[in-house]
Order: sequence, then C-alpha cells, then structure tokens
Amino acid sequence: MAKTGSGEKGQPDYGWRFQGKIVRLCEDRSVRMDESSHLMERALRQMSMEYFALDRCLQCGICTEGCPHTKLETNARFSPRSFIQKARLGLLDLSGEDLWLCTQCGQCKLICPYEIPFLDVMISLRSLVVEQGAGYVPASIKGVLSSLSSAGNPWKEDQSRRGEWYADRDRPGNLSGRQDAVMLFVGCLPSYDKRAQKIARAAAELLQRAGVAFDILGEAEVCCGESALRAGDQGTFERLKAINTRNLAKGGAKRIYTLSPHCYDVMKNRYDGLEASGCQVYPFVILLHELISKGALPVRNGVHKRVAFHDPCLFSKHHSIIAEPREVLQNIPGIELVEMEHSGEKSFCCGGGGGGVWRDTAKGERLAEIRLEEALKTGADILATACPYCLTMLEESARGEERYQDLKVMDLCELLREGVFS
Amino acid sequence: MDKRVAIIGGGVAGLGAALSLDRYGIESIIIEKSPKLGGKVTGYAHLFPDFKDGKALVAELIDTAGRSPCIRVLTNASIRTMTRQDGRFELSMTSGDAVCADAVILTCGFEVFDARKQGEYGYGVYPNVITAPELELFLDPEGPTKGKLLRPSDGQPAQRVAIIFCVGSRNKRLGNPYCSRICCSYSTKQAIEIMERHPDANVTCFYMDIRTYGRGFEEMYQYAQELGVKYVRGRVSECSALPNGDIQVRAENTLMCRPVQGAFDVVSLSVGMAPCSDGAQIAAWLDLELDPYGFFQAKDDYLSPYKTHQEGVFLAGSISGLKPIRDCLSDGFSAGGDVALYLQRLHQGRA
Repeated sequence: MAKTGSGEKGQPDYGWRFQGKIVRLCEDRSVRMDESSHLMERALRQMSMEYFALDRCLQCGICTEGCPHTKLETNARFSPRSFIQKARLGLLDLSGEDLWLCTQCGQCKLICPYEIPFLDVMISLRSLVVEQGAGYVPASIKGVLSSLSSAGNPWKEDQSRRGEWYADRDRPGNLSGRQDAVMLFVGCLPSYDKRAQKIARAAAELLQRAGVAFDILGEAEVCCGESALRAGDQGTFERLKAINTRNLAKGGAKRIYTLSPHCYDVMKNRYDGLEASGCQVYPFVILLHELISKGALPVRNGVHKRVAFHDPCLFSKHHSIIAEPREVLQNIPGIELVEMEHSGEKSFCCGGGGGGVWRDTAKGERLAEIRLEEALKTGADILATACPYCLTMLEESARGEERYQDLKVMDLCELLREGVFS
Repeated sequence: MDKRVAIIGGGVAGLGAALSLDRYGIESIIIEKSPKLGGKVTGYAHLFPDFKDGKALVAELIDTAGRSPCIRVLTNASIRTMTRQDGRFELSMTSGDAVCADAVILTCGFEVFDARKQGEYGYGVYPNVITAPELELFLDPEGPTKGKLLRPSDGQPAQRVAIIFCVGSRNKRLGNPYCSRICCSYSTKQAIEIMERHPDANVTCFYMDIRTYGRGFEEMYQYAQELGVKYVRGRVSECSALPNGDIQVRAENTLMCRPVQGAFDVVSLSVGMAPCSDGAQIAAWLDLELDPYGFFQAKDDYLSPYKTHQEGVFLAGSISGLKPIRDCLSDGFSAGGDVALYLQRLHQGRA
C-alpha cells in the first residue's frame, strides 16, 4: 500500500480517500481520470500480486459472455471484462452491489485465453472493502462475517448444538491409530439447517451401512471459512482455519471427507497445516464412489425416476470432479440420468457461491431460476446435486412456484440412501 | 566455384532462395516433403491486399525455377538424418539417397493451428463450422464449388457468415500467446470476396483488435467496412448448432458492453499459425536454438536475420516467425544473397 502519512486511530492511510463513489462524472459526462483514480490504481497495484495479471487482459470479453450473469436479463450489467478495465484505470466504483454479484463459479477463469485469475482479483477487491472499509458491504454479508468471526458459524448459533443431529448415534471414540477410520467434516448448513441435516443423516446412515468407522468433530468443528475467504475476510478465514486444523489433527483420522464442495475446496487448497499432520481431504462423493466400486454399498431398491444432475461449480469447474457423481447415480437401478443444457465443466452456477447463498436476491434475478428452467426442459423428476448450497439455492427458488411443483431437488446422498435402504 | 546449397522446404521462401542463388550461378537442391512445390500459397486463390492470383504467382516461381540448370528439386523427400562433417552437410534421405551441401537454408514454414484444440467452437463436430483454409477453397473460382460459398451441411448457399478471429492465437491457455499477424488481413480479404460476390450477404467478423499492419492492409480493412462487412469487438465464447444446421454464436460486444448473439449459415475460424512440426528435429540435428514457442532463433534479429548461430545454416520465411507471403519471398531472396556471400568467402578461404 502506498502510505502517504499516518492514518486515524490505527487505520492505515492509503493515500486516497474513497468518497463512496470513485467514478465521478465531469460536466460533459466523460469519466474523469484524475489524482483520485491514479491513486486507486496505484493502491490496487500494490495491494496484490493478482493485480498484475490484469495488465495481461486483452479485453476480449469472452469472460463476460461466459459469465452466468449475462444470461440474466436483469443483471446484464455485470461484466468481468469491464471490471478489469475499470480496475486498471483506477475507476472502480466499490460503493455499489456489483462487487458482490460474482459467485466465484470459475467459468471466466476456465475460458479466459490469458488465464487471468479473476476470482482472486475479486477476493482482493472484496478484502479492500471488507477489511479496510473502502466501499459497500451488503448487510447480509456483514452479518454472516460477524457471526463467523464470533460464533464459528453463519447464524451465531450455539456451537454445542452443531452435532445435535448426530446426538442419538454412537460415537466411536478416538479414531487415532485406526487406519480405516474417516472423519466426516459436516459443514455449517448440514449441521444446523433442518433441510440440509437430511444430507448429513443420509451420509451417516450410508457410512454405517458400509461399515466404515467414522466420526464427526461435533462442537469442535467450526465453519471451514470458505464464505469468509471469498467475501474478502482473510482474518476470519485464518482464525477458522487454525481451529479446524488443530481439531482435525486431534480427531485422529487421517482421511477427511467433506459433505460440501465448498469445505473441500478451501481445505484442499488453503489448509496448508492439514498435510503437515498427515491428513488428506476428499469430497464425500469420492468416498461413496469408492464404497460402491468395492461393493460395500449394495443397492437393493430401484429408483425409477428421471434425474438431472446439477454439477456444483467447485466440483466441475474447480476440481474436475464430473464423472464420479454421475457414476454413483447410475449405480442406482431405474435411474434415467439426463443432462441439462449446461453440464459438466460447462455447468451453470446456482448463484450460491462466493457468498451468494447469504445474499438476498430478488425473484427474477436468481441464477437458480435459469437452472431450474434447464432442468424442466429435460423433463426430469429429480434435480440432483452434491452441494448443500446448490440444494438450498435451487430448492428455495423452486418453493411455492407451481411450474416446479413436480421437480424435486435432492442431494445425491439422499437418493443413494433411497436405493440402499428399503 | 563448385558449391552447393540444400534448401529444406519448397514453399515460396525456398523457391525465392533457389532463384536468388541461381542469379549468382550457385547450384541448389530443394528438398520438399510433399508431392509438389509451392507450399501453403498453392491453397490461396487470391492474395491480400491486392487480390493477386496466388496460384499464378506460385506457377511463375516454379516455372522459372524449372528452367534453371542450377536448381534441382526433390519432392516426396524426407530427411532421415542430417550431419555435419568437415564443414559439409550430409543429408541422408529416407529413400536411401544422400545429398551433400556446403550450406543449408531452412525454409520449412509453419503449421496451421488445429482448430479441434479449441473445442468450444465445435470444429470437426458441426459441419457448418469451417476453417479459413477451407473457406479459401470455397472462394476459389477454380475450386470444387466454383467460388460459391455453400453450407457444408446441406449444400445450400450461405448468406450469413461469421468469421471468428484469433483462433489459436493470442491464447495463453493453448500455449500460443503470440499474434499470428496475418489472420486479420486474410480474414478481411475473405470477407471482401464474399461481399463483392454477394452484396446481400451478412458477413460479421468477431475480432479482438484489428492488426492490419502492412502496406495496403489498413486500406483493405476500410474497404471491407465500406462494403458492409460488420466488425464486432468481442471474443466468441462458444458456437452451438441449431436443429436446422445453423450455428449460434455468442459474444460480448465489448464496445457496446452488451452481449450479442446471432445465427449463421457458416462460421469460419481464422486459425493462426504454429511453428513447423519438424522444427525440433532439425534444430537437434544442427544444434540450433528455438524460441519458447518453437520458432527458429536468428543470430541477430536486427543485423543478421537470415543467419543462425551455426556457420553455414540460414533461415528464411515463417520458420523464424510468422510472416505474410511478400515477406517470405523477400526473405528467400535476401537469404540467397547472404548464402552467396558466405560461399564466396568459404571458396576464397580454401583457395
């Protein structure tokens, strides 16, 4: 950061003042490029290495065309290309909603011919706003970040209730030294949310049926911090990461399976301490796939439904997990698996990533609505997914809408559970 | 002076080099791996920016070379290995023949980018997505369609044509971050040809930056716009086929900050150029340097652009970086001069 003097009350002085709006119009309506835009550009440049990548951008616009927001008629204003152009001229307006529209789905990163890490750029810009007060943070995001920081979950819920859904089951005790034991990292939604708890219960029942020795951290588990990280709150993320890393190491199991692709993503990419304690993290669907391949989860009942699979972006676009969930589904007799217009790597975001799940989005402006339409077109009875955020986003948008009443949104664990238990 | 030069590659740069050496009375042998001389220029009915007949140009070069007693041609000829002994080059051919030379000029040219590598455009999947060389064949008055542009799917005349620039160029993801330099111009030339023959046609070019840098190129771009060729600034993210065979194209019009889309009869991909596929092998035989992409490195780009770090080995044409046809020819002529001077010194040194 370019420091030009001492700031007030411990706040660093970045050498320019954000007056709410950075893009100011001259009398002739042209954009004014003046000292303030110059200082912002300098500050952004010094803020992060990611920023240097912006200089490579060709402004070709392929990211904008690929961005799911472009498919929303009401939201066509969001353009990653234009964001980069404004950022490198120091003309970004951080006082509006735009910074928070990005769901971090990764489509732009996937198709960019110059491999510009736009997602990291967004995180850096959000950091500027969240950690240094340089712009607007939606109230819902502020609330979640404050809960994560103080309570370890997004709703200021009691941490001791985190393992409540599991309370009536036998805990196996310390898993140390048991080579085959696994730790289930449940995540916030499946721990607290009534609907998402069904995923956790189904997962636990499947593990018991397969005879896998497993445990959960219960109240020792806190949020993985993915939402905090992608909302730009690096400090909170680091604190959550430290707690989880410590408690997972104590838990004893070397293999950790996460129910949410979001937990998997950060734990795999950013929990650098896990590997040091000899732990490996995988998504839960990989364990299911493995158990089925080994014959440990015999499927007794047919599920005679037409099923469309919605790829969570973090699986398909970030970690190339595309075949495994489909193979798990196809293993259930009777299921007719169909593909939507966007599938696999080209999957279409539900709108829940990058903090989107915590934001209030008006009807008619939701990405999930586009996805539901795609599912309807396939004539599917069930829209299956493998992510608690996707499940919530899709189900919330379908709720109370007559046109979706015959379309059921389910997690892959729930579907497999139907097949395994009579 | 009893010296001989091996020219590897019989495209316009190789022919230019042979004709140049011929003027100095120096014997040369052109080694061409395909059945005929002329290289990629034989596929261009008209050249830019003057719409000169490309085939006539090649025919003239081949004809002149054929009448020279100094120029020998080996076609369908592949080199098995190449060594250097006592300052002379020994080339053993897969046919079993051997060629000896005192100097070598490398004129192996380039490869056309394989559009299948950019899967989002559906080349090889959708019949109505074609590449620029295929469009060139359609536009050839002596070609299979007698110069008519037809939809490959059903043979119907194509009225709505999209041309997508920078396919396989300026793309770090595919390992080709460089600009191929000639695609903007050849695509604009093709657009003009379509518009001149079908004034009602809708020709839309999706570009990122227009780089019509050569003499007369920019004027050609202006003329295309006068004819009504539309230029949309935005990289196409995806092509998809509609049930009737039309190709749906989507992009952001970055100058309008709006997404745009349209259906076209034919989509032509302006494929860029890749380094010559034999380059690595040749560089290994002769201990030459390649740049990170695989183009040959000259001894000095400013002062000795046709020489290499190895005495007696010279470069001409697109082997050292992508060039339009005019530059490849003048490369060939100039390299011939450099080689003549080198051989003269060699002769005097030995004499």
